[in-house]
Amino acid sequence: MSPTALEVHDLTRTYGSGDRAVTALAGIDLAFARGTFTAVMGPSGSGKSTFLSCAAGLDRPTGGRVLVGGTDVTEWDEDRRTRLRRERIGFVFQGFHLLPYLTAAQNVALPSRLAGKRVDWERVRCLLDRVGLAERAHHLPGSLSGGQQQRVAIARALLTAPDVLLADEPTGALDSATARQVLGVLRGSVADLGQTVVMVTHDPVAASYADEVVFLVDGRVAGRMAGPTADAVAGQLAHLDELVSA
Amino acid sequence: MSSLALRSLRHRPRAAVATFLAVLLGTLLIGSFATLAESSSGAPAPDDGTLVILGAVVGGWGSVIVLFSVASTVGITATQRATEIGLLRTIGATPRQARRLIVRESGAIAACAAVLGALAASATGPLLFELVQSGGLVSERTQYDAGPASVAGAGLLVLVVSALAAAMAARRATRGPAGTLVRESGAEQARMRWWRIAIALVLIGYGVVMAVITVTVTAHDDDPYAAMATSGSSSILVGVGLAVLAPVLLRWGARPVRLLAGTSATAHLASYNTARRAHLLSGVLAPVVVLTSAALGTLMLVDIDGRTLPGGNPDSDTINLLNNVVVGMLSLFAAIMVVNAFVATVAHRRDELHRLRLLGATPRQVRGSVVAEAGVVAAIGVVVGTVAALATIVPFSVARHEGVVPDGGLWLAPAVVAAVVALTLASARGAMRGAAEVGAGETAR
Repeated sequence: MSPTALEVHDLTRTYGSGDRAVTALAGIDLAFARGTFTAVMGPSGSGKSTFLSCAAGLDRPTGGRVLVGGTDVTEWDEDRRTRLRRERIGFVFQGFHLLPYLTAAQNVALPSRLAGKRVDWERVRCLLDRVGLAERAHHLPGSLSGGQQQRVAIARALLTAPDVLLADEPTGALDSATARQVLGVLRGSVADLGQTVVMVTHDPVAASYADEVVFLVDGRVAGRMAGPTADAVAGQLAHLDELVSA
Repeated sequence: MSSLALRSLRHRPRAAVATFLAVLLGTLLIGSFATLAESSSGAPAPDDGTLVILGAVVGGWGSVIVLFSVASTVGITATQRATEIGLLRTIGATPRQARRLIVRESGAIAACAAVLGALAASATGPLLFELVQSGGLVSERTQYDAGPASVAGAGLLVLVVSALAAAMAARRATRGPAGTLVRESGAEQARMRWWRIAIALVLIGYGVVMAVITVTVTAHDDDPYAAMATSGSSSILVGVGLAVLAPVLLRWGARPVRLLAGTSATAHLASYNTARRAHLLSGVLAPVVVLTSAALGTLMLVDIDGRTLPGGNPDSDTINLLNNVVVGMLSLFAAIMVVNAFVATVAHRRDELHRLRLLGATPRQVRGSVVAEAGVVAAIGVVVGTVAALATIVPFSVARHEGVVPDGGLWLAPAVVAAVVALTLASARGAMRGAAEVGAGETAR
């Protein structure tokens, strides 16, 4: 098994062409070791979301390579990338993205269903229990709070024990108290299950739950910080331009 | 509000197509037959009656059908825009203003369509008259004699009916406080309102009573068409009554599908979506039920009539023409409604279908789940529609001494069912092709 869950080498992504070309990623090299929790931060337009889309196979990079669990997936076609997302990547979105007509448990089980596998209901129960929603297994998303919906989404992302769990502003739509619960669940999956988590966020408090923070500016890696605290991250964010000129 | 309405229309021409078509075709049909009624004034004795009946029956049924289809198309576009209307209301539009926006938008579409329909009808009117004359329904002595009055009247009638339908749909869309509207329409089921159940029961009850009257009273009448008069519309009435109950029928009907679903992801998704969001798909089920019941009931009626009254009598040709026109009209409009309802539901669910792609569903699975839903709707629709059609078939068959089961024409049932199922599945596929560039890419942000 490869020691890194996710690697990108010289990753570039340009939108449009000619004079109007916009460079979202200008050559990024990053490797995420198994069992680590990394926050990716940067101002709007720094390429955070594009990075995540390319890593998840939602978007095709213009250049460079993406390796998931040691396998180069850059040139895979749409079908294989769909399977990749289903089996080896867990995705948590800012907007939860639960299906409104399936119960919490059915939402968690969905990746298995889509893969045409038998649903391991014992595992579904364990995961819902882990995110503290065992009691709510048979509720529809409409009757759950935002924080509860996001925890269901995390349980769903963990179902296949993916190589890497990608989270795009997972607490962006939540108040600070529920955000802490959600971050606690993510942190717990790293500590207890050895899950690898890569989280894009704006929030220094959210970033402080990670082992390391990577700062992106203008599509490049501008700096890193190990053992971040909310204050240190906020201070660094206020002086990102110095990182770039350095 | 008017300029906002026009601007919003220009922004979304596709949503207007179904309403436009319904009004255009409605005016065209009613207008063409209205010219016959107008021509009756100078016509000699038996012809004038025939012409008036042709105009009145088609006009009457046509108005009812246009009312339903415009209410359904405007209702669907209004529901689709719940978020936008909620937004207008949160920034200070009163419910009345929001309603006016919807009514004026559909008013503008209906006006254009009605004018075009009326113009076309003044061209098709003489053609229809020639057809009626060459069919021997009216004698050679009668002349086509209709001015702009009849087609303009038809256009006005359709306009009034559409305005009424739009007002009904708008009222439904703006009910309740503003804040509650700005939400994704989730799985919450609105409870059936009491008046809806009442309307359904009245329609079904009326159809059943007419069926009983057909067997016990009019079957023994000297006029062979007395039985047809009491039983002919029963299938349509019972069908509409059952269509009003569509959300409940969907919830019940989806249950057996779940048992058959097994581990298939598409069937699993389809069965839960049909059951838990019945309010979305009931807009599709309703026309499927009415289409099946009206088409099957009326076609079997005409078939039994032709067999048991081979020579016919002086009224036969007129009655057959009317039956065929009404069934054709109903089928046409129901088909428009089915297609439109699918386009609308798929557009409405775009985000959600995209979500499935992000979670690792293949484009095929996403398409499959929508088509499977259409299959569930079609299955429930044809079963319920066939039951409704019995309200016409059984009493008329008894009245014409063929017993509970007609002596022939039984092939019509599978033929109608096959056509309806094919239409439903094809519109679902078409809607998916139109709406879903189901690539998982760009919209991830």
